[in-house]
Amino acid sequence: MSLARLAVIATVGLAVALPAAGAVAIGEKLQPFKLNDATGKTVDLAGLQGKKAVVLMFIATQCPVSNAYNERMAALSHEYAAKGVAFVGINSNRQESVEEIAGHAAQHGFAFPVLKDVGNVQADHFGAQVTPEIYVYDQGWVLRYHGRIDDDRSGANVKSQDLRNALDAVLAGKAVPVAETKAFGCTIKRVAQ
Amino acid sequence: MSPLLLLAAVLAGQLDGAGVGRTVAAHRGRPVVVTLWATWCEPCVKEFPELAALARERKDVAFVSVSIDEESDRSTVEKFLSQRRPPFPVYMKAPGPDQAFIDGVDREWSGVVPATLVYDRDGRRVALLQGEHTRADIEKALARTQAAAR
Repeated sequence: MSLARLAVIATVGLAVALPAAGAVAIGEKLQPFKLNDATGKTVDLAGLQGKKAVVLMFIATQCPVSNAYNERMAALSHEYAAKGVAFVGINSNRQESVEEIAGHAAQHGFAFPVLKDVGNVQADHFGAQVTPEIYVYDQGWVLRYHGRIDDDRSGANVKSQDLRNALDAVLAGKAVPVAETKAFGCTIKRVAQ
Repeated sequence: MSPLLLLAAVLAGQLDGAGVGRTVAAHRGRPVVVTLWATWCEPCVKEFPELAALARERKDVAFVSVSIDEESDRSTVEKFLSQRRPPFPVYMKAPGPDQAFIDGVDREWSGVVPATLVYDRDGRRVALLQGEHTRADIEKALARTQAAAR
């Protein structure tokens, strides 16, 4: 069972849970998209072709759970960049501005771009529901992992480094041991429907 | 009553996934509404007063609330509850892996909060509301527990 089987459409005081018809599934190919980063520059995911893996991370600036992972995201992206892996952050929260995203990325030393998903179009496409929520694609742009970064929000008692395990498996050309995990996180704040 | 005693009164204890199931089972004979939430979850905080109001009206229904805040945020949870004084027991998620808790509560629950599970008098889960929902949504689910009882 994936973390993102439902799309939650939040309005002011009202939310409706709908089956996420557009949610991506393990084994599906990535459909490249373009979004602006926090500086306003357009980033085309097609430009990442050739990377050994691509990690898409739905993240937030205000969510305590996402923020608890800031250091871990920065460290992982740094470590795996040297191994040919591209990390991309995506912010789909309606209330978090590009200025806030840029400041947050700089404050936490993110070396990866953080893209602004205006209108939560990509969150809807992926079926992403919370932050942080991770999608790992291999060199052939096939989805190999979806879920959490690890199994401990606090970082003090991590027993299962799920994102790291997935990347190591993908880079070694092996099956990802656990392709889907669940995690708690903050609901992505979508635009009113 | 001292402020310390007031704080002590608002948290009912800790529950793991199986503990949530046992708590539901203990209310056999009444519909049960289980809500999973966190103090850092904006929609959870928003729907909390509606849920409390519903619980005050529906004495025929057992309400059980479980915060998934980390143990390190216990004082935040206690402060939140001492300000709102909900009419139902509020537990904290017992320390342990998130996934085990999520699956222990309900394998169909994605882990998103808020989440509301509604059970009929026989302990059968009749609704799983994931994400922000209104009081009307919960009442609709409770109506289904009555239909199931007929």
